[in-house]
Amino acid sequence: MLGYLIRRLAQAVVVVFAMSIIVFTGVYAIGNPIDVMIDPGATAEIREKLIAQYGLDQPLWRQYFTFLANVAQGDMGTSMVYNIPVVDLVFSRLPATLELVFVSVCIATFIGIPAGLYAGYRPDSVAAKLIMALSVLGFSVPTFWIGMLLIMTFAVNLGVLPSGGRGDVGSLLGIPTSLATLDGWSHVIMPALNLSLFKMGLMIRLTRAGMVEAMRTDYVKFARAQGLTDREIIFSHVLRNISIPIVTVFGLELGSTLAFAVVTESVFTWPGVGKLIIDSILQLDRPVMVTYLVLVVILFVLINLTVDLVYARLDPRVRLKGGS
Amino acid sequence: MTKHLLKSAVAAAALLAAAPLAAQELTIGLRAGPDSIDPHWSTLGSQAEALRHVFDTLVDVDDTLQLKPGLAVSWEPIDDTTWEFKLREGVTFHDGSPFTAEDVKFSIERIPEVTGPMSMTLYTKYVDSVEVVDDLTLRVNTKGIAPALPNDFTRLFVVPSETGMEQGNEEFNSGEAAIGTGPFTFVSWEPKGDLVLERYDDYWGETPAWERVVRKEIPDDAARVAALRSGEVDLINYVPASDYLAMQNDGDIETFVSDSVYILNVQPNVKDEEPQPITVNGEEVDGNPLQDKRVRQALDLAINRDVLVDVVLEGLGTPATQLMPEGFFGYSDDIGARPYDIEQAKALLAEAGYPDGFEVDFTCTNNRVPGDAVVCEALAQMWSRLGLTVNAQALNGTVFFPAAAREEYTMAMSAWGTLTGEAAYTYGAMIHSKDDELGFGNFNRTGYSNPEFDEVFQQGTQTLEAEERRALYEQASEIAMEDRALIPTVILQTVWAADADTLDFAPRVDQETRAYEIRPAE
Amino acid sequence: MSDTLTPEGNVTATASAAPAETRASRLRDFWSDYRRSPIAVLSLAVVVLLAALSFGAPLVAPQDPYDMAALDWLDAFLPPGTEGSGGYTHLLGTDNAGRDMLSAILYGLRTSFVIGLSAGALALMVGICVGLSAAYFGGRLESLLMRVVDLQLSMPAILLALVLVAMLGQGVGQIILALVVAQYAYFARTTHGAATVERGKDYIEAARSTPLPTRRVLFRHLLPNVLPPLIVVATVQVASAIALEATLSFLGVGLPLTEPSLGSLISNGFKYIHTDRTWLSIYPGIFLMITVVAINLVGDQVRHVLDPKNQR
Repeated sequence: MLGYLIRRLAQAVVVVFAMSIIVFTGVYAIGNPIDVMIDPGATAEIREKLIAQYGLDQPLWRQYFTFLANVAQGDMGTSMVYNIPVVDLVFSRLPATLELVFVSVCIATFIGIPAGLYAGYRPDSVAAKLIMALSVLGFSVPTFWIGMLLIMTFAVNLGVLPSGGRGDVGSLLGIPTSLATLDGWSHVIMPALNLSLFKMGLMIRLTRAGMVEAMRTDYVKFARAQGLTDREIIFSHVLRNISIPIVTVFGLELGSTLAFAVVTESVFTWPGVGKLIIDSILQLDRPVMVTYLVLVVILFVLINLTVDLVYARLDPRVRLKGGS
Repeated sequence: MTKHLLKSAVAAAALLAAAPLAAQELTIGLRAGPDSIDPHWSTLGSQAEALRHVFDTLVDVDDTLQLKPGLAVSWEPIDDTTWEFKLREGVTFHDGSPFTAEDVKFSIERIPEVTGPMSMTLYTKYVDSVEVVDDLTLRVNTKGIAPALPNDFTRLFVVPSETGMEQGNEEFNSGEAAIGTGPFTFVSWEPKGDLVLERYDDYWGETPAWERVVRKEIPDDAARVAALRSGEVDLINYVPASDYLAMQNDGDIETFVSDSVYILNVQPNVKDEEPQPITVNGEEVDGNPLQDKRVRQALDLAINRDVLVDVVLEGLGTPATQLMPEGFFGYSDDIGARPYDIEQAKALLAEAGYPDGFEVDFTCTNNRVPGDAVVCEALAQMWSRLGLTVNAQALNGTVFFPAAAREEYTMAMSAWGTLTGEAAYTYGAMIHSKDDELGFGNFNRTGYSNPEFDEVFQQGTQTLEAEERRALYEQASEIAMEDRALIPTVILQTVWAADADTLDFAPRVDQETRAYEIRPAE
Repeated sequence: MSDTLTPEGNVTATASAAPAETRASRLRDFWSDYRRSPIAVLSLAVVVLLAALSFGAPLVAPQDPYDMAALDWLDAFLPPGTEGSGGYTHLLGTDNAGRDMLSAILYGLRTSFVIGLSAGALALMVGICVGLSAAYFGGRLESLLMRVVDLQLSMPAILLALVLVAMLGQGVGQIILALVVAQYAYFARTTHGAATVERGKDYIEAARSTPLPTRRVLFRHLLPNVLPPLIVVATVQVASAIALEATLSFLGVGLPLTEPSLGSLISNGFKYIHTDRTWLSIYPGIFLMITVVAINLVGDQVRHVLDPKNQR
């Protein structure tokens, strides 16, 4: 078990390295970030100085090793655009994103799983058909387009919700969050719903598929024959059996929810890390790109690890071997 | 008198601690703010704009970027390499100490010691040494002839000589060292957050209308608009064009439009071998057709600037026929409007040997400045009327600028701003032949090189007498525009917005939002 | 590129080795199962119709939106149903360049189809091959392949695609490449996961102990059994390749406005959602939605039919 953990973490480190190398090579291949950012009036002398300042005149490998040396000392670099340490920048934006992801995951789970269970339990009912139709819409229609429709409807036409931005930040259990204020909720609800739809659709489908399958098993037939109620069967046996694929997808999709926050944040101008990464990509702000991607990789690895562990817990047939 | 009345009124209000000071307070939502409160840290435009409220510069600029007195009341060259500045009398710093020539000398000398990566030495590059003649007279000895020194000093913020060299960002950001002579005193600042200011009652200039000013940094366009609509802020800058349209139909909001310094210029490459081939019927043509002045003139004549402004930019622009807006130092009144004349354009093209046109790639920036991509498309349409096949492509800055720096485009378009309000900035960078020794032509991507232009322009940079220099720059403008070294199309405009009938606000061409130049509406 | 396609060649080779008669009858069975759902049949019809319209765009569309000479700025922002200078009615209005929106949408749809189909298909093939080989051969190969896949999954498709497109530049080929690189890992992971469970089962052991060629075991025995979960993913991924392209263009790193795809059209229209020019974003959005939903519904029914548990 411990060996497994160590191996997985070692793997994570490799992934992080690979990622940073890809970004370095990629940015190097596009061209000099200074040419994107520089004040058009700067003299050649100033340009040279800036390039030297950021070490962009060095060969790629040396730039990379300088970066590694700095990281080893806990310095991820300074944003070329904002001129503040990247770590501060990313962490100042992270709470907003986590808040958004948290609310949307809650929406997806608390609506998606019950809806999916029902749709699988009574697959031929009208309600089930409706649920399934909505789930298809949820995961197939692009997030940004639904977001746009939400803005048009609730912000532009009805004028009941703000079209973007994050609301007032209050304090909840000592944590500063916009979820502590009413204004905050009025800002977060639309983007969170938007972000949750894809996941909700997927959740409904998976739960339903598992439910339908489980209800057909001999095992459930026996249980029924023994006089157990459907309620008991579902909650004690079926849920456990269908939890495996749900946990897998839930885990994998948690990461992609974080990633898709990029889109939702752009549509709703939510001041989170997703918006930051888009801006950084459009300005070749390499330190921010690298830091953000490394952060996402770490989060992903942690999520995958948890999924694997839970998976092993739920299905004893899967042995943990960490790809060795 | 009024000042004292006001003061006691404020004191009374403060005692009551309940009366809102809404009428006395101005909250502005800005796209960008300062990087630091140390005025010698960075050349960033938004930095200068914010710190101007706390610190004064030696020379100031008016709303069309022309020089006007600041802490210096007058300046003149006393020989080829010496400028003399006469300083303003009776000015005091926020801590009460008097302002003298020593403070200016100290500030000039402090810059190289403390400046950050966006180096302010850009503004002291001509300074050789500084002499204090008396408390109110200062002489600056320059390296070579430096007619642009007063222009450079429009960014020379003055701090007290007591500040000391060891004090840096930390002391300034905390407010300890943030002592200037400006119209407002520093209260607090959060990086990327709010800059809070209070009126300085002993300010030498006109007393600001606001007791308290909060400059909120809201980088996101939509969020800034939302902040105005929700009443969180009183005024916002850089309103996006699409919101501007919506605001036109909204009686609650008033918009203020001004020309910016930014102009979209078409850059025809005139090197012997064009980087992307120009073809006729799929065959690459011999030589570079864009080298022929008649072809460039034809391209120019085929541009319908009124359509660009009225239809394509929906009113948010001004036709441009020079590389800088009217009134800038070096703008020539003798260059007339460029009429749209497709027949003459066709004739010129035929005369140049391309009666059936040619096929050419045209690359522009996308979303770098408002309207760049749509103007790009519209130009391609206009040139197709001339018989050309134009493959327009609007690319993101990340792709465009590095490739442009490698001079890979045959025809390109991007925006250029004459940030200093005078021609030397633009001509030295973009039109003069590339010359590393003289430091000219760093942004000359087209390969344009005209010895006549170079000579006139260089003569200008060596002429101290302002009117003589102006004449030379105007002549340079005429040469460059006659040659169509670049083809200017439209001046972009920027928009501010406020609640209707609340503010008396005159927008500036440099796009600065100066709280002390804004007053409540009568 | 053709190298990576070789495994796909194997699939076709194996399939065509099957007697033609069986294949035809199987197709007939498939179709009779498929058409049980009227919605699925309708969706299929919609997909076919949209594909026909978009690939036939040069014949159907009133205007060539890429031809600058055909556009007239005086036609800019005409609301839907207005007659323009071209003498025909702009059913869905015009955009800021005076481009007929219907034409732009049809051409844009074609771009979206080309990108979505090629990216989806390539990613599926690459993913299946990687996943199956890893699960079947195990050992070092498995560990290597799945490590690379993990590396990919360490980054959400959208982010990887964002970074890749930013680096590769803006263009159809670049976007397809970015999408394949970003998406194949999902297929590989799913294939591998399901195949790992399957390989422990008796029938694979049995097949392995017979002198059947490896690829036959892989593609005839293992593949059909891992297919159902794969189709769940494929349903999502093929349509999402189209959606992803639109998203990238919407975010400003995909295709530029001068080369309309559905995404860049919507992105352009998004600028005007606070004005009354909503047709600029609504119509391309509706087309995008219909396309993606219809493809998903078709995929859904295919999955349903292929699912052994549903076969009667």
